Amino acid sequence: MTPEPQARRRVQLVMGVFSLVSLGLLIQLIRVQFGPYAPVFAALDRGGRGLTEEVRPARGLIFDRDGVLLAGNATRYYLEVELRQLDGNEEIVAGVVSALLGVPADDVVAQLTARDKFVGALRIRLTRPDEEGGRWPITVDPTAAGVISAFLADPEAPDLAGLALVPLSQRVYPAGSLAGHVLGFVNQEGRGYFGVEGFYDDWLTGRAVTVQRSIIPPEAGLNQEPPAGVNLVLTIDADIQQMVEGVLQRTIEWSEAAGGQIIVMDPSNGEILALAAWPTLDPNAYGPWLGDQSEEEPVINPAVGGQYEPGSTFKVLVMAAALDAGVVLPDDVFVDTGEIEVGGHTIRNWDGEAWGPQTMVGCLEHSLNVCLAFVASQRLGAETLYDYLARFGVGRLTGVDLAGEVPGQLRTPTHPEWTESDLGTNAFGQGVSVTPIQLLAAVSAIANGGDMVQPHVVRQVVSSEGAYWPSPTTLGRPISARTSQTLTDMLIESLEDEALLIDLAGYRFAGKTGTAQIPSDYGYDPNLTVASFIGWGPMPGPRFLVLVRIDRPRISPWGSVVAAPAFQDVAERLVVLMGIPPDSERIALVGRE
Amino acid sequence: MTGTTALLVVALIIAAGLYLAVNAKVANAGRALLTLEAQRDELERENSELMTYFAQITSPDRLLERAVSMGFRPASPGEIDYFAVPGLQPDPEFMAPQPPFSQEGHRSGLSPAFTETLGEWLARVIGGAR
Repeated sequence: MTPEPQARRRVQLVMGVFSLVSLGLLIQLIRVQFGPYAPVFAALDRGGRGLTEEVRPARGLIFDRDGVLLAGNATRYYLEVELRQLDGNEEIVAGVVSALLGVPADDVVAQLTARDKFVGALRIRLTRPDEEGGRWPITVDPTAAGVISAFLADPEAPDLAGLALVPLSQRVYPAGSLAGHVLGFVNQEGRGYFGVEGFYDDWLTGRAVTVQRSIIPPEAGLNQEPPAGVNLVLTIDADIQQMVEGVLQRTIEWSEAAGGQIIVMDPSNGEILALAAWPTLDPNAYGPWLGDQSEEEPVINPAVGGQYEPGSTFKVLVMAAALDAGVVLPDDVFVDTGEIEVGGHTIRNWDGEAWGPQTMVGCLEHSLNVCLAFVASQRLGAETLYDYLARFGVGRLTGVDLAGEVPGQLRTPTHPEWTESDLGTNAFGQGVSVTPIQLLAAVSAIANGGDMVQPHVVRQVVSSEGAYWPSPTTLGRPISARTSQTLTDMLIESLEDEALLIDLAGYRFAGKTGTAQIPSDYGYDPNLTVASFIGWGPMPGPRFLVLVRIDRPRISPWGSVVAAPAFQDVAERLVVLMGIPPDSERIALVGRE
Repeated sequence: MTGTTALLVVALIIAAGLYLAVNAKVANAGRALLTLEAQRDELERENSELMTYFAQITSPDRLLERAVSMGFRPASPGEIDYFAVPGLQPDPEFMAPQPPFSQEGHRSGLSPAFTETLGEWLARVIGGAR
């Protein structure tokens, strides 16, 4: 039986349709296998059916104590080109990139056409020349990326076939150079350097994971999310930090100094409220800091890595040791003849004068080197003095959570180069090196009833598992509460006697100036000094401890002239910013409660 | 014979249709998943950008600059009056936002009931029989 003609036609029609569909599939297969997109699929094939890639979590955020964002993340985009997808549109791509980013169009065309440089390369990342003859990858911000994406999606727009945007997470510091030395910075590879970024780098980075990303919809699945980096809340108060940076800048400019630091710390728990250093560091533009890196002058945070001879601010530690050991009393009288010999080395006062009979308060008030050398050499003795200095942590790391801390230098009698004359010079802060943070930690014992606290800048760590509040750490109790009170009273009295030094109506402060010569290979520089002041208040119950260090001031070498006014400015603003009423109102308010 | 053949063809067509329908659902779900993942990534990026932008325009330097331009100046200690407010609670301490939880991956967002191939089923059955 033969099929009817109508049925035959139907079979032929169905077969024709199937043949057309099969032909279409065949053409599509050939196009995919050998067409312009073939290299893309081939690249995917070489890496398995999906893309194996390392996924890094977003770097943890850094906030100040009140929630001001100090370090965040933004997205930039690399411009990459799939070379085999270019269809003679090199000049169009170059024109758009040039118009958007100001890169020379010729340079882009050269990159797109210089195939011989990229033998076997299917994809290149566009770069731009820098001033030093090197080349840096071109990155674009989200706005420019949006324009390019719109062009790519619009068939009427310039033909950008082959151009691709590859997202890149970039660290940004919205407040610019504010607290730059505290924060440190993150380089292009995502590694943290210095400050908090360096110290907590592993925690902030999180952990990268390798994932297999399938681009085939049926195989798409939820990929493993990399463990995120922690968010940090600092002890820094952005308002106080800004104020302190302003005072430091004005002081540096006025005194024509080379640099300096001001640190504000809560002496009761070691929280650093502000840490300013000059020259400033803008973490958004850290290039110059890396460029200066050398063995002779490494990049450091001078507050933790810049050791110096503290000069007379060190006398408070020597006097604390003497009072605590019971070898002197505040009213003990020392007759200053203007010089004293210790270990064959003659020590003189800062002005070369003899000050006659002086109590221990007078010795501190007039900062008499001879008196302190006498106390150290003839009352304390080497063993007791260095035992106390060790208790104060001199020559040891404080453990502050900032990268780059150095321990300072202290020669003790067990050191082969120590001589007895060191006992005399160490007494007034010469021949011993400390860092600003180290001196601050040591003096915190005097301001905090004998307990020496560990300085720190992180007050809260928030991970995906929860929040952790580091508790304040006590580094030791080098002196008694009684000694602490006695010495504080002596320093208040000495400052009040010099009313011009620190004068803030309604508030009392304790403090000490310092003027230290700068050692060099040829002895001490006769002209240049480090002018400093360390003070705390308002008394009683001090809320802040402030160290001012000004390097190489030219207007005057003295701490009393250069550094003390900076302390006064800082203290005047701190009582406002921290809401600390004057003594009389404080007592009245407490009485009413 | 013709009726049996027709029944077989119909059964095959139904089975193939079901198979195609399930696969189409899987493909759709996978595509939706890829799209949602891309959207999530984009939203996270936008959120990060906005957070940074907000921080830039409210940075202490910018606020001080604006305050000064509006005629304000920092108060001095003598210009401030203090008074006790009974029962006033201090502001709660700032708490940083929690980073996203680490999430273990899954091969697919769909149950294996939808994604298991015939070959995988056979291998499982034969392997189980052993």
